[in-house]
Amino acid sequence: MTLSLALRLALRDWRAGELRLLLAALLLAVGAVTAVSLFVDRLQRALVAESATLLGADRVIDASRAVPQRFRDLAEARGLALADVIRFPSMASSDATGRSQLASVKAVTTGYPLRGTLWVAGEPFARGRRTDGLPAPGEVWLDSRLFPALGVKVGDTVSVGYADFTVTAVLASEPDRGGGFMGFAPRLLMHAEDIPATRVIQPGSRIRYRLQLAGGDDALRSLHDAIRDELSPGYRWRDVRSANARIDSALDRAESFLLLGGLLTVLLAGVAVALSARRYARRHYDHVAVLKTLGATPAEVQWGYTLVLLIIGVAGALAGLALGALAHFGIISALRGFLPVSLPLPGAQPVWVGLLTGFICVLAFGLPPLLRLRGVSPMRVIRRDLAPGTASAWTYGCAAAGGLGLLVWYSGDATLTGWALAGAAVTVSVFAGLALILLRGGRALGMQAGSVWRLALAGLHRRHRENVGQIVVFGVAVMLLLIMVLVRTALVDEWQSRIPVRAPNQFVMNVAPGEVGAVEALLKAGTGYEGRMFPMIRGRITAVNGIAAARWQRQRPQRREQPDGERDGPGGRGRPGILRERNLTFLADLPKHNVVVDGQWWAAGAAPSASLEEEYAAALGLALGDSLTFDVGGLPFTATVTNTRRVAWDSLQPNFFIILSPGALDGQPATYMTSFHLPSERRAFLNELLSRHPTVSVIDVDQIITHLRRIIAHVAQAVELVLALVLCAGLLVLIASIQSSRDQRLKELALLRALGGTRRLITGALVAEFAALGAFAGVVAVVGAEITTFTLNRFVFELPASLHPQIWAVGPLFGILMVTAVGYLGTRRLVRTPPATALREL
Amino acid sequence: MSGCILRARAVVKRVPTSEGDLTILDGIDLMVEAGAQVAVVGESGSGKTTLLSVLAGLDLPTSGDVWLDGEEITALDEEQRARVRARSVGFVFQSFQLIDSLTALENVMLPLELRGQRQPREDALGFLERVGLSARTTHYPLQLSGGEQQRVAIARAFASGPKVLFADEPTGNLDTATGGKIADLLFALNREAGTTLMLVTHDAALAGRCADVIALDAGRMQASREAAP
Repeated sequence: MTLSLALRLALRDWRAGELRLLLAALLLAVGAVTAVSLFVDRLQRALVAESATLLGADRVIDASRAVPQRFRDLAEARGLALADVIRFPSMASSDATGRSQLASVKAVTTGYPLRGTLWVAGEPFARGRRTDGLPAPGEVWLDSRLFPALGVKVGDTVSVGYADFTVTAVLASEPDRGGGFMGFAPRLLMHAEDIPATRVIQPGSRIRYRLQLAGGDDALRSLHDAIRDELSPGYRWRDVRSANARIDSALDRAESFLLLGGLLTVLLAGVAVALSARRYARRHYDHVAVLKTLGATPAEVQWGYTLVLLIIGVAGALAGLALGALAHFGIISALRGFLPVSLPLPGAQPVWVGLLTGFICVLAFGLPPLLRLRGVSPMRVIRRDLAPGTASAWTYGCAAAGGLGLLVWYSGDATLTGWALAGAAVTVSVFAGLALILLRGGRALGMQAGSVWRLALAGLHRRHRENVGQIVVFGVAVMLLLIMVLVRTALVDEWQSRIPVRAPNQFVMNVAPGEVGAVEALLKAGTGYEGRMFPMIRGRITAVNGIAAARWQRQRPQRREQPDGERDGPGGRGRPGILRERNLTFLADLPKHNVVVDGQWWAAGAAPSASLEEEYAAALGLALGDSLTFDVGGLPFTATVTNTRRVAWDSLQPNFFIILSPGALDGQPATYMTSFHLPSERRAFLNELLSRHPTVSVIDVDQIITHLRRIIAHVAQAVELVLALVLCAGLLVLIASIQSSRDQRLKELALLRALGGTRRLITGALVAEFAALGAFAGVVAVVGAEITTFTLNRFVFELPASLHPQIWAVGPLFGILMVTAVGYLGTRRLVRTPPATALREL
Repeated sequence: MSGCILRARAVVKRVPTSEGDLTILDGIDLMVEAGAQVAVVGESGSGKTTLLSVLAGLDLPTSGDVWLDGEEITALDEEQRARVRARSVGFVFQSFQLIDSLTALENVMLPLELRGQRQPREDALGFLERVGLSARTTHYPLQLSGGEQQRVAIARAFASGPKVLFADEPTGNLDTATGGKIADLLFALNREAGTTLMLVTHDAALAGRCADVIALDAGRMQASREAAP
């Protein structure tokens, strides 16, 4: 068969309405996948961009020495934007008041920050406004906390090292402040050109250099590839993910969820394509038999229909791309209020995803039923009962492999796909068994029922093979929707609970033992504080089981000391280095957000014991029973590891790698720390706290939390969108499935009408039949959804798993409503068709 | 026109059933000259339609050989038999077997298109005109009466210029008057084209219009007689 003949056949079939459902299924598959991919791609780019503001750049190179010119040249050659940030602690002082205070100085070059904005205010602790500017040379901007500490106001002069500066603004927030704790001291922002004048940079000074980079992904990747070998060990390449563990886990789960949603859309659309192709093939058995009597060879039939399918594939894929693009614009405009002002343009990837999905859907799901046409006997023109043999295992094997390949490629995650498919396989076989039992039970019940129900249930039982199939298909569609709703709810709840409304947004440190009571009382009165004061001492491990720590470290060369001073303490998870000085605490009882995973928490009066964070212990090769020797303020002492803990790092509570038993640090000079929630309208309280306790340090993480909340809100939005698309795909499967039984129903209805069945009786029977199908499908869907969400939550999203009694009634009810509505609308015309016409159509 | 166009030798067709093999054709031998008109008659279940299927290469016998237009079709595979059908065979069926999704014209064009003919449309229009349906070319089968559908089927059968035309109860689904007209049309076109006609029927009057009649009974040929002039 030639291409032109295939085209003509396709055109004629299209005109006769034979291909519409197939094309619609394909259109939705490609459209949904393209819309999801486009939206997710752009949203991800927006999220990354937004998250990048937390870094102040797309990537940064951190170092404890100046970043080499070669890195800069390579970056500039790739068209990347650069800005320098140099940070060091230094005393700031005011000659007028004679006061001084340790400040965390940040000197920046023009262009900083490359992502995000600086906020400044006219007076300390006031609400800030955005600014595009920077302190000019000779000027500084100060953190609110420096004003009471130095006793200065905007316009006054302060000194850093040998240089004097005019204070021109209050620095309200900076994007790359981070959750790190080098920022114990309040910030002083100045221009990098002023550094030489201060003469504070001397050999041995504790200075952190950071080169900010911004630009296209390809350029950044290319730069990273070019300098990768030179980075280690002195320089550290950081992106948003390595910079913030909280964002990392939220983005990871959001991606997993969006991919899962996309995966389900592809699966559902694939089922719809397969069902429509099957119906198309069945309706062509006679057609092919006639073609064969007219001399069409099996090869011509095969290639002809493959060509028809490919033509439909091309048309469907192109139209689907357009539809997907339109749909994603619709989604964006619907969500305009919630989305970042302008979404970045998408990459080419979504287009390829859409096109490939179309073709693989066609080949893997659509082709196998059509290949059976090759085997239609020409004898069928005489004996209509001659159906073609089943397609070979090879054909279905290829189809399955194609489908699987598509899923793995699309999700980029073999584990997720594996679980989804294993779930699907088990579900389908369990569903089939359950459906058969329900149908048998239904038939027995129907014998006692009135005529409408008897007809309906008899009808269900009569076509039990098709109906088991339909229940499985409906059940899977309803199940997938339930899964999406349940997983979405679990995810969003979990995200929101992660940052509760009153999450601590201020950290108080450096509280002297004598001040603890007074500070606690002030916090209680001012903010309703109910937290806990943690003692804190800096100390380092000097030996493990009598082996010097440095040697212990060398025996594990893969665990290098990270040259990073900022990642210890609450909020930031550092890769541990044994030699580093750590914040140690001693506690009688296990703090909230900590769970002992191995060993026992100590009882009162126990021998000196240590509790280690599990990953920290694993990375250093430390185990229960190891004896650790610490050096705290020059005094050595030894404690035995008695347990390891899992720590919720994103709890915004003070967290520690090492906790010691009370008594271990007796007599050591501890300071105390805590965290509390301060509503933004009560920010003036900080002024009071700092004036009454000037040596206390307050670290404000409110900005970061607000940011995180916004990101999570966006992600939740995207998740809901995917849910809507899965719903569309599910409906399409229902329609395709009902359409595929349309011919047989038409025949039965015509006979019933001819035998005197009233329109009312038949409509009643149809509705009852669909309602029963929907209810059965709902029951199996609930069973499947419970099993699958349990598995997904447990193993993929790592969320707590539980049963959901709320869906037990909702599932069947939803099944009844959806299947009845779609089924009735799809077959309404059949009831209205006069019986004579209907019988002639057979 | 002379020479043997269709020949069957010791053709046996058995089909398996739950009660053992059922013999449908039991040792059929026949030769049909080119241009002949042969009626196959017999009661329901006597094997008429099966014989037609085997002779036309739609089905294979359990044993025995069939030659059609110089090819031993029983030795060919389905692919090759399809080519022989495309080249040499036309069909008219009791149930018309038009494709519902195609118009009358498109149904007639189909065999021409399958052969890769250059002007299928013009040729098909010509044949529709000869069966008196030039006004209904854009109608779909469901919009046509039974007689009209069979006329489209006849136009389609002759459109490809077959050497042998197999007709299976061509008037079986039609009333007497319409059936008569269809038979007239079939024989007229057949004479005009010089096609060999194999006609399966249980209608004695229709069989009587053929020169040769083969009577089947329980799968055996009872008689092969010259029909009355």
